[in-house]
Amino acid sequence: MTETLKMIEADGSAPSFNGALDDKALVYCYRTMLMVRAFDDICMKLQRSGRIGFSIPNKGVEATQVGAASALRSTDFFFPSYRDFGMALHHGAEPVEMMHNMFGNASDSARGRQMPVHFSFTKPLRFFSISSPIGTHLPQAVGAAFASQAQGKDDVSLASFGDGGTSSTGFHSALNMAGVWKAPVIFLCQNNGWAISLPSSGQTASDGYAIKAKAYGMPGVTVDGNDLLAVNRAVSEAAERARAGEGPTLIEAFTYRMGGHSTSDDPTKYVPAEELEKWAKKDPVLRMQRFLAQRGLWDEALEETLQAECAAEVAAAAKEAQATPGPTLETIFSDVYETLPNHLRRQGEQAFDLAARKGDADAGGGAFPL
Amino acid sequence: MIEFKLPDIGEGTAEGEIVKWLVSTGDAVKEHQAIVEVMTDKATVEVPAPADGTITELLVGEGDTVPVGDVIFRLDNGGGAPAQAASPEPAAAPSAPSAPTAPSVPSAPTAVAAQPEPSGGKVLAVPSARRVARELSVDLGTVAGSGRNGVIRRADVEAAATGGAVAQSSHSVVAPSTAQAQRIPFRGVRRKIAEAMVRSSQTAVHFTIVEEVDVTDLVRVRQKAKAIGAEQGIKVTFMPFIMKAVANGLMKFPMLNGHLDEQAEEIVLPGTVNLGIATDTPNGLIVPVISQVESKGLLQLAAELGDLSERTRAGRVRPEELRGSTFSITNAGNIGGTIATPIINFPDIAILGVHRIVKRPGVVDTPEGEVIEVRQYMNFSCSVDHRLADGADAARFVAYLRQILEEPALLSL
Ligand SMILES: Cc1ncc(C[n+]2csc(CCOP(=O)(O)OP(=O)(O)O)c2C)c(N)n1
Ligand SMILES: [Mg+2]
Repeated sequence: MTETLKMIEADGSAPSFNGALDDKALVYCYRTMLMVRAFDDICMKLQRSGRIGFSIPNKGVEATQVGAASALRSTDFFFPSYRDFGMALHHGAEPVEMMHNMFGNASDSARGRQMPVHFSFTKPLRFFSISSPIGTHLPQAVGAAFASQAQGKDDVSLASFGDGGTSSTGFHSALNMAGVWKAPVIFLCQNNGWAISLPSSGQTASDGYAIKAKAYGMPGVTVDGNDLLAVNRAVSEAAERARAGEGPTLIEAFTYRMGGHSTSDDPTKYVPAEELEKWAKKDPVLRMQRFLAQRGLWDEALEETLQAECAAEVAAAAKEAQATPGPTLETIFSDVYETLPNHLRRQGEQAFDLAARKGDADAGGGAFPL
Repeated sequence: MIEFKLPDIGEGTAEGEIVKWLVSTGDAVKEHQAIVEVMTDKATVEVPAPADGTITELLVGEGDTVPVGDVIFRLDNGGGAPAQAASPEPAAAPSAPSAPTAPSVPSAPTAVAAQPEPSGGKVLAVPSARRVARELSVDLGTVAGSGRNGVIRRADVEAAATGGAVAQSSHSVVAPSTAQAQRIPFRGVRRKIAEAMVRSSQTAVHFTIVEEVDVTDLVRVRQKAKAIGAEQGIKVTFMPFIMKAVANGLMKFPMLNGHLDEQAEEIVLPGTVNLGIATDTPNGLIVPVISQVESKGLLQLAAELGDLSERTRAGRVRPEELRGSTFSITNAGNIGGTIATPIINFPDIAILGVHRIVKRPGVVDTPEGEVIEVRQYMNFSCSVDHRLADGADAARFVAYLRQILEEPALLSL
């Protein structure tokens, strides 16, 4: 395995930190991590009480998300995985917007047409809709980077994916093209130990994931994914190279998924308890907290304030989203064609007529829409 | 009031087992507070409260498996009309908690149920059903699924393994006919009844003995008792007399009173008579229990019966009042039928079906010789589990019932 970049020591000291993020930015990063946790927590409760259909926990990987986001501009292209919404939060996405998506209601930007957690944000963000199929967004990230390069712009593209994602065909296509074209793209492989229930050790015969970069003619870097400063530095350096026309980088962030894969998963059936305990000691939030405390930026009072703010904000977001009605039936037919083709218009009329006679689609079985 | 329905906790979960209630009726709870532990095919999870409020009712017993979408508890959140917390489908009729089976005379077939889809093609089954099917060597293609969209549940496989005919599933291809078939979700109380019936009829070896009883004297006595009861505001029907006779009979023939403890491989004869009274309610048959019948007088039985059946019909019966029967009585008397083959209220040993009183000419012994008179008759159909008692026991029991009901003074024996 390539040498692992690490900056925050267990006691919170970070001798090699060069002030890349100022005090305000550091505290803001920490707050974003807490917000990710608060959002996760409430979504789990909402899902278990049947109010939303699905959720994906992020516990353990917050430093990777927020560290990477803090190294990029909000106008860079984000091609995230489903465990990356911390990146959007960091660049100003509102919890309530996300909550509308969790409920799939009329205020959801996708009008309930996407799965919960599959956020997308535009203007100023370029946060592309999270895609469920593993690895398909990697070639898209290369395409966006290639376009940016062709237009002479200095926007870079971030493709974020899991250890499992490296087994997809998209991974090979994307890294190969990016290497050939020297596209300004950063491949962030979040090795969080698991692809659902398959341990990372079963995913590849390589010595880690960063080493795969060599085959595609780009640098590969391994970074401690629970260390926000280290992730920030690795991604900053990759972005600099990309903006300077030096091409792509593959970063392996070594971290750990401390929760289940999703709300449909029971990790206690396969995650060894000792392994979880070991990683709990390396909790990225505590790590960052210790670093801030060492710099005199953190105390109990701040913690209480931030926790209370985050909890209140996500609770208010959930209330609002829950009270917002579902998308109207018309949205089945809207947002695709500027002028509706005749066959769809006819279908629409029939549907509206049926709804008028039988009541709205809410009368359906309430099954999770898969 | 929130009717909380078991949500689809995973992706496409069909059912969940109630592992443990973490609150009790009457508890004040906060939104997000854990209420119940539920185990599904995929995970065991804590289900939290959807709002602040007071728990007014827990509707499912621990250890029971319920389909997704069934109401499992009620939460008074200060709101008015029932709101649904989980799936937004119309609320299922409120049900009594896991009614311990519903013995009854079999009812006339109501509608022709849909036939299960034939074997072959893609089989939809929850993972635990697949595992159990492997373990029991059951071909899933031959099992009718009772879950949503015909998904096969574990219970379906188990039922199929213990002898086939599962309770009809609501799963079939849409028939090309233009007639409007009615489709009723097969769940809730109906499903509980079905499961209990299947268990009883596939485990107990039923035989039924029918006896005719001349109740002419009993009708007269009851008329007088009715007047006395009315003074105290108690409605006296024939039921207390029958209950009393049954209790006397069971004390004399104790091998018909009790249940089989299959685990311990012991027949349990409790020495007291707790009578399950099959009660027809808007939600299906429910069997509340009146205990220690042998030690109670007729008026007391009449009073308890009136109160219990009223609360059962209103859905206000307590879970503990639905447990512990040692024998059951099912009364189809005022509807029709002359004999029946009642299904035993499993795991009881026996059940008595009571029929309506009819007037018929009868041969009566008088000092002047045999004469034909207008008499009143009532039939009793008694089903017994032949594994636990024999035909002679049952015959002696019903003969004794006849003897004391034909001469009601003997009730005080
Ligand atoms: C093409 C494809 N195959 C399979 C799946 C099912 N699936 C969903 S998530 C997942 C595991 C992905 O693991 P990893 O890339 O390590 O990401 P993590 O969940 O650990 O963040 C799989 C196999 C899918 N969504 N898409
Ligand atoms: Mg992974």
